[in-house]
Amino acid sequence: MKKYILSIALVLPAVLFGQLDRSVRPTAAKAPVINIKDSEVFELENGLTVILSENHKLPKVTFNLVMGAKPNLEGNQAGLSELAGSLIMSGTLKKSKDELDREVDYIGARLSADKNSIYLSCLTKHIDKGLTLMSDILINATFPQSEVDRIIKQNESSLLSLQSDADGMAKNSQSIANFPGHPFGEIMTDATLANINRESIVSYYQQTFVPEGAYLVVVGDITKEEVQSNALKHFSSWSGSKATQVDLAPISFTNGNRVLFVKKPGAVQSVIKITYPMDISPNNEDYLKLKVLNGVLGGGAFGNRLMQNLREDKAYTYGCRSGVRVSEDGSWFVAGGNFRNEVTDSAIYEILSELKKITTELVTDEEINLTKSSMAGSFARSLEQPSTVASFALSIIKNDLPTDYYQTYLQKLEAVSKEDLLEIAKKYFTTEKCNIIVVGNQEIADKLLVFDNDGKIEKLDAFGNEVKDILPADISKEELISGYINAISMTSSKKALDKKIKKIKSMQQEEELTMEQIPFPLKSTKVWVSPNIQGEKTEGQGMVFQRSFFDGETATGYSVSMQTGEKEMTEKEIKAKQLFCGLIPEINYATNGIKYELLGIEMKDGQSVYVLKIEDGTSETYDYFDKYTFYKTGSLSIITIEDETQETSSTYSDYEENDGFMFPMTFSLSAGGANFTGKVTSITLNAKVDLSLFK
Amino acid sequence: MRKLFITSVLAGLTFSSIAQREIEYVEYELDNGIHVILHEEHATPIVAVSVLYHVGSKNEKPGRTGFAHFFEHLLFEGSTNIGRGEYSELVEKNGGTLNANTSHDRTFYYELLPSNQLELGIWLESERMLHAKVDNEGIETQRSVVKEEKRQRIDNQPYATFIGEMFKRMFNNHPYHWQPIGSMEHLDAAEESDYVNFYRTFYVPQNATLSIAGDINIAQTRSWIAKYFGSIPKGQAINMFRDYELMANIDFYNTYGVDKGAFIVNDFTHPKGKKANSVLKSLESKSIDIPRPEKAKMAELTGVTKDIIYDNIQLPGLFMAYRFPEQTNEDMYALEIMNDVLSGGTSSRINKSLVEKKQIAQFAFSFAYGLEDAGMGIFAAIAAKDESLDDIQTEFDAQIELIKKELISQEEFEKVQNQYENNFVSSTSTVAGIAENLANSHIYFGNASYANTELSKYMSVTREDIQRVAIKYLTQDARIILHYLPKEEEGK
Repeated sequence: MKKYILSIALVLPAVLFGQLDRSVRPTAAKAPVINIKDSEVFELENGLTVILSENHKLPKVTFNLVMGAKPNLEGNQAGLSELAGSLIMSGTLKKSKDELDREVDYIGARLSADKNSIYLSCLTKHIDKGLTLMSDILINATFPQSEVDRIIKQNESSLLSLQSDADGMAKNSQSIANFPGHPFGEIMTDATLANINRESIVSYYQQTFVPEGAYLVVVGDITKEEVQSNALKHFSSWSGSKATQVDLAPISFTNGNRVLFVKKPGAVQSVIKITYPMDISPNNEDYLKLKVLNGVLGGGAFGNRLMQNLREDKAYTYGCRSGVRVSEDGSWFVAGGNFRNEVTDSAIYEILSELKKITTELVTDEEINLTKSSMAGSFARSLEQPSTVASFALSIIKNDLPTDYYQTYLQKLEAVSKEDLLEIAKKYFTTEKCNIIVVGNQEIADKLLVFDNDGKIEKLDAFGNEVKDILPADISKEELISGYINAISMTSSKKALDKKIKKIKSMQQEEELTMEQIPFPLKSTKVWVSPNIQGEKTEGQGMVFQRSFFDGETATGYSVSMQTGEKEMTEKEIKAKQLFCGLIPEINYATNGIKYELLGIEMKDGQSVYVLKIEDGTSETYDYFDKYTFYKTGSLSIITIEDETQETSSTYSDYEENDGFMFPMTFSLSAGGANFTGKVTSITLNAKVDLSLFK
Repeated sequence: MRKLFITSVLAGLTFSSIAQREIEYVEYELDNGIHVILHEEHATPIVAVSVLYHVGSKNEKPGRTGFAHFFEHLLFEGSTNIGRGEYSELVEKNGGTLNANTSHDRTFYYELLPSNQLELGIWLESERMLHAKVDNEGIETQRSVVKEEKRQRIDNQPYATFIGEMFKRMFNNHPYHWQPIGSMEHLDAAEESDYVNFYRTFYVPQNATLSIAGDINIAQTRSWIAKYFGSIPKGQAINMFRDYELMANIDFYNTYGVDKGAFIVNDFTHPKGKKANSVLKSLESKSIDIPRPEKAKMAELTGVTKDIIYDNIQLPGLFMAYRFPEQTNEDMYALEIMNDVLSGGTSSRINKSLVEKKQIAQFAFSFAYGLEDAGMGIFAAIAAKDESLDDIQTEFDAQIELIKKELISQEEFEKVQNQYENNFVSSTSTVAGIAENLANSHIYFGNASYANTELSKYMSVTREDIQRVAIKYLTQDARIILHYLPKEEEGK
């Protein structure tokens, strides 16, 4: 054979064309016509919509069954939908998981499921067998407990290994930073995984995998008649109705740029993501322009600005890109890549500069032409995959696009102008409300300070939770408590303290509170009467906003607020109140059985503080004590009531002496988005207290 | 002309029920030695233009590892007629995309273009072959970019060093000892003469396969190939042309004994004067000696090597390797099928035992690594939380003993055959895939038609073959075992 080829070669003249000027670049031949075949769309009796893109090039068919459900909040079971998806193939009423796996593999097919879809790909000759398996898992999945346990264990391992995966960690932080209170911002952790059980999985499956609103996308070597008869055979017994949908939270921007840093020990590169949510849906006319704009900045083509600047010019990275992710349920922008440690800050600076530049200056003709041509080419190439046409049809239906959206895509693309891009950039791009996420080596963290609006870097763990650098304490928890008590009671021995404290029978404290949203000051009165009666009242403009009373003797109490009316204290709350009794409740910590633990030393607002964790059965409280004076400087209290977590944080300062005791005269309080600042106007010890004012 | 068309007729003879689509193609060789393969199909108006150079990291010198891959980066920098950064721009602004990759054995470049830009693609690749141009700025930039590539793909990825660690221990006396990404110190140490020599030795017509697939007209494509590639000087004459473009006349004269004036750039192979002609002809007739490592010198794997590697990981990992033969060895078909019994699909033995039943591994798999000069069978598992590598080792060994001791079941056998059939159908779904497949077949198997007969090779493997190769190659007394442990455990 080889010899034959050589002999042919000899016959050919060495140079067919004589002279060739290589500097002359070839010109394009006549542009090929791009044909986009229409998909067929039809509905089955059980409400299932079928989208068919026939293509007989290869003897293969794919069936993608996509559910109509939108993402829902999973709260303390975050990760539930993913887990349910990965368990759909774990056994049916008819077959065990082993049997299913064996039968799928036997026909050389691929059958997979996720939280919202089931996908089958097989040779044409195996369609009936493939669909039998597909419909079996769709309709008859049993979720055996043993498999649930196995998948939970597997996910525990995954959560562990995530802590060495820089990209995975960056993705978690990105989700949480961009989408607080939205399903996109929910991340599976050990705690949420522990809350997931078989019942919740089955209920998710039953409410999600229903024909109403679902689409069956069929691509490949099959006719409409064959699809209809197969669908009738395999899917007609499928029933169920859609779960109620909860409206998703609106997007919220960060207030100024935030730096979120995730430490990865031993990292030789930093993963950078500069990201923020965007308010745009796929059927918005701006979307195509936004894609072109992103193309110029850091999208598809190698010739984009980020790649050219950060790789080809500065050589900071193997690749730097940007993307706009737009969906019905939530959209966001992200730019970044992997950069060696030393240039992490320079890379952020350059990316932000490119973002800024594109929002202030017109792009060049060359850039917009390059991007549009590249996008047109990519569009044409995508048509090589038969699934593309079907995905167009699905996108038109799901995103409510005009029916000729893809037929006229190239014309619409061509019409995008430089001026459009500047307008779109101003509308959707920002350099001032970015979440700047960096996963990398601790040594680079300090260099990131300059990018943060309030000059404070938020340090996160692999799952996007805030972490504090905490050092081991140099004293015991008992030493801390006695240090604090001595400091505020101005005594130095237990004996002196007992003597001094015995003389105090009551206390009344008057405070003045201000809050931004309320145009007038509030007055607050707190009283304590020995041994354990407590009252509190907050009023302003002649109205009582809140009042509470606790009778230590009868162990009863209640609170009255303008919003919720009168509420009896629960047993737990009473128990907690009893733990914190006396003028200085800390005196009793050693004897009353309260759970407290000294976590260590932490930097807080530039001061070294001891962190003491206290659990009283209703809340978790972190008290902060100045490392040198032992004064309490702040407190963070977390109460969880039926999945709802409320955080209250306070600060205390300006300690002054009143009747032989030190009291903080300035304080602040923030809870549920409300921020108060307060001044103590008077403190009276052993005063006559009129308890009726609080009852 | 009809006679020139060589189309494969071998496929499908034995297995008529197999659903493989036969790939039709035209194949010929240019006078300068470039091997050409053309596949015509009009389903989508796009074309894949690719050139495979038969040079990979195994052609590198021990002190200059990483060069083949580094060169791949440099060859996007431009040519005499293409400015720095313009190469990709020309492709992208004409609606195309491009990339390249480098293995131990070969370097592969490709453009995917709208079919009306075929001539552009051919010109671009011919420019890359004839007179790529790289300036110092380009070298410095790409050196840093490659370092970032290594950090991103290997250093910063958990467990990602295991392939390199395996090759290092598996292949002695052979350049498979190192990985295509190579040593960063070697890249730093490289001098201009290294670049020049590498290009002059390996980037020559006789070492190239041009494979084009897609919406093309064969006759038109052949004429463009003749125009842009046919005009590239053959043998040593290509380097004379490169010198002609780069050297001052005096240097050129001192080297070749003729004046540059005797040549014209647009028709280099037809110089004026007898002297120039005879110098040129003599160089054209001298083929370039392309160094290739000697397979025979590769040391056998003897004994069991066990090592611990500390990495930035949370879960320990077990990696184990056996020596397999080169990819063209007949045993490789049986070994690959054996591997699929062990690790192909959810129902495979390793997944069922280690991951699902015993639940000792988070992931577990095996694969057969086939290369031109040798191969490797790898077993890998990441331990599940709180599980030990010893238990994983025990279970891997039990599975290995089982496949050596007992014939696989008829059902398993049919299953892997069906899986192969499905995979082969899918492998012909894109023109880019077809172009690469044809070029690989030509280079490694000596015949592009292998792309059409490959499946029948797998289908002729018997259950007894599988048992035989398992016994022959899964040698418990000659293997490499690596334990990956979290860095925190180092020194404990």
